[in-house]
Amino acid sequence: MGRAYSTIAFDPAKCDGCGDCMTACAQAKTGTIDRARSRIQIVGRGDTIKDATKDATEKAFELALCRQCADPKCVTVCPAGALAKDGASGVIGWDASKCVDCLLCTVGCAYGGIALEEATGHVSKCDTCDGKPACVPVCSKGALTYVTTANIYNEVGDWEDLFAPGLAGCQGCNTELLMRHTLRRVGPDTVLATPPGCVPGMGSVGFNGATGTKVPVFHPLLTNTAAMLAGVKRQFKRMGREVTALAIAGDGGASDVGFQSLSGAAERGEQMLFMVVDNEGYMNTGMQRSSCTPYGAWTSTTPIGAGCAAGQPAQGKTQDAKNLPLLMVNHRCAYVATASTAYMEDLYAKLDRAIEASKTGFAYVHVYSPCTTGWRFASDQNMEVARKAVETNFVMLWEFTPDEGLNFTRPVDDPLPVTDYLKAMGRFRHLSPAQIEHIQGKVEENIRFIKRFAAALPA
Amino acid sequence: MSTTTLEKPAVGAPTKQKVMLCEGNEAAALGVALARPDMVAVYPITPQSSLVEHVAKLIADGRMDADIVDAEGEHSVLSVLQGGALAGARTYTATCGPGLAFMFEPYFRTSGMRLPIVMSIVTRDGITPQCVWGGHQDAMTVREVGWVQIYCETVQEVLDTTVMAFRIAEDHDVMLPVNICLDGNYLSYGTSRVELPEQSDVDAFMGAKDVNWHVALDPMKPMAVDPLTGGSGGKGPATFVRYRKSQCRGMQNALGVIEAVHAEWASRFGRSYAPLVEEYRLDDAEFAIMTLGSMTGAAKDAVDEAREAGRKVGLIKIKTFSPFPVEALMRALSKVRALGVVDRSVGFRWNCGPMYQEVLGVLYRLAREAGTVLPAMSFIGGLAGADITIGHFHRVIDATERLLDGPAPNEPVWLNEND
Ligand code: SF4
Repeated sequence: MGRAYSTIAFDPAKCDGCGDCMTACAQAKTGTIDRARSRIQIVGRGDTIKDATKDATEKAFELALCRQCADPKCVTVCPAGALAKDGASGVIGWDASKCVDCLLCTVGCAYGGIALEEATGHVSKCDTCDGKPACVPVCSKGALTYVTTANIYNEVGDWEDLFAPGLAGCQGCNTELLMRHTLRRVGPDTVLATPPGCVPGMGSVGFNGATGTKVPVFHPLLTNTAAMLAGVKRQFKRMGREVTALAIAGDGGASDVGFQSLSGAAERGEQMLFMVVDNEGYMNTGMQRSSCTPYGAWTSTTPIGAGCAAGQPAQGKTQDAKNLPLLMVNHRCAYVATASTAYMEDLYAKLDRAIEASKTGFAYVHVYSPCTTGWRFASDQNMEVARKAVETNFVMLWEFTPDEGLNFTRPVDDPLPVTDYLKAMGRFRHLSPAQIEHIQGKVEENIRFIKRFAAALPA
Repeated sequence: MSTTTLEKPAVGAPTKQKVMLCEGNEAAALGVALARPDMVAVYPITPQSSLVEHVAKLIADGRMDADIVDAEGEHSVLSVLQGGALAGARTYTATCGPGLAFMFEPYFRTSGMRLPIVMSIVTRDGITPQCVWGGHQDAMTVREVGWVQIYCETVQEVLDTTVMAFRIAEDHDVMLPVNICLDGNYLSYGTSRVELPEQSDVDAFMGAKDVNWHVALDPMKPMAVDPLTGGSGGKGPATFVRYRKSQCRGMQNALGVIEAVHAEWASRFGRSYAPLVEEYRLDDAEFAIMTLGSMTGAAKDAVDEAREAGRKVGLIKIKTFSPFPVEALMRALSKVRALGVVDRSVGFRWNCGPMYQEVLGVLYRLAREAGTVLPAMSFIGGLAGADITIGHFHRVIDATERLLDGPAPNEPVWLNEND
């Protein structure tokens, strides 16, 4: 039984009202090109479709289409039981043999998602063409997308959460979300390393002899995670047992003091999945700077001094962040990816590939993990901050294998200005215009650099 | 017997053993191979390098079946082995000097996790001044970290003790890591005749392997290895104290286990060593000199010569330095009236040799329990690879003999100062 369902999403900003989708639907469902018979209807909001006298930006279009609601009013109001939501696909199906043509459903639906089809005399509605909607691919403007993100919850919702409930993370902690998703994907045949930081700090490694995890877990030194895990994995290989060696490490322990052991293990191709939870600082110890902390960010060791108030240049970190995932690409790891919890489907796809790669080599996944406490934003804003990071290209989502090279998995062609990201949190509040300019310049330099890098590798 | 006057061993059936010529580092490698570790991790450093080269070659030649990890530094070397041991591997490595210093963070932790890792320290003096030569400063500096530390005198003893170290470490009453200390230069490169036991005989001696029964990383029995202990106010500190007491108990248990393992070795292979403290010509001695490691050979020659000259000198050699063999030393020291202790390293805080400083504690026990106040003095020699010759030991003997009638100096004597 699913809990979340795919749907057709509509971006009115991209729609120019061409109506190609309606033609495609009519063809697919009726064999005609009669747009009146299409189950997707694009309607002008006060404007006429294709009104040449209007500027395109003034036009606005709306979508009349079944949303395949979780709690469908049409199903509720139907007195004949002719409408029902399919538990697996989430599609609301219509049964002609039961329908009494009362049309109450058309009144019940707030989206115009079910309507009388004059040509047949019955209602008709979208059935998503069994997950391959005919309308979506024909929209050349990209206004229609078939959004399948939510499907991961159907796939993973029943998998066991291998952390104890009630870990002592901060309210709204993104890292806890990431840990739970990651471990239940990796599964119980795992040895988990959680070096000092938020991950064990919230209790996953346990206190006073009690464990916080249902898999074997240990607390390496901040400096030796990859080396210890390599030893564990090698011995299981020697014994002929298939066990996944998983590290969930903070950025400080990976990019700074633990970098030697990380680099050594990657160079030797030790078989493990090394995940870095990048909250851009030593958050568990009190939000100090790491080499992954971005330029300009406040941390407790890159504080904002009185000089700012006196009109001096604003402070915060005075160097740019180390690009750790790119360094790992230069180790020619079996797999390297960046990911974000705002794009869960992307993250899960990368976990799948990383787990597979870790069976023969070193797999590295770098997840940007906004920190409500250290970055200073409200605890309900995690996904928003994570999403804005990607939408501004402050964070780029890509993956690398030695055979396929580096490829963007969620390219952002039309990025938002970086200020949209910076203003979402308090750690950048003090920035001067010059600092913001520096960051915007750095974002653009980074995307240019990594695009050149991608182009230089086998595709 | 913790205090042993060496005799020809009373042995069972003679064991077939190959006779060969090799340096101490190769003898150590051969001992490692005989103990059949699952995993070795290596990183080169003078004067240890040829040891790990020999291990790598034994593996490459198929004479040893172990997973070898060429790690990127000593810190990772020991860390890899910790992971391996937690997954059930018998593990080995070797290091010295700056490598041991770099390894210190996981080194401290190894004994806390009670991982029976065996590691040779091919002892090297401490820097600075910059120095790649032998001396005990590296091993002495980490003597208080909960590893068993055993010093060897000869190349054959290196081979034999290396095998025995695994039995000692893995004994269920011990479960502690073990250092076999062999003197850089003098033992590492010194070439000597050795007898190599048969593998099948060593297999019988070693018995079954069970290194992670107490703490393991295994999905078949999930546990949190080394979870956090809570701070004051909770049960954390009490948990911590139990942990530490257990470590100390393991160390004390090691004294008896080291003796038992040496006795079994002697009966199986015909070579016996005083496991904790060796007494040499001590029974009718008036005074004694004390040694550690390879210097003992020259010291024994000097004692023999002095004896021929009619002087009542004996020798006490410490083999097991950690745990400190207090009882055995009390028995040995109760036989003499003056003591000269020769260290190959420096105790900076007390301005004397560290072994001398440790022995002072035993002398206090002796004074309290037997009413004997023994004059003693400290000699420091053999630093930075210097040779402690028979001549140097004659100076030690002369100065120690003077303690019988004269005052004991508080300053150490630096043996190689004017060489
Ligand atoms: S028109 Fe048909 S589907 Fe709609 S409410 Fe009436 S019976 Fe149900």
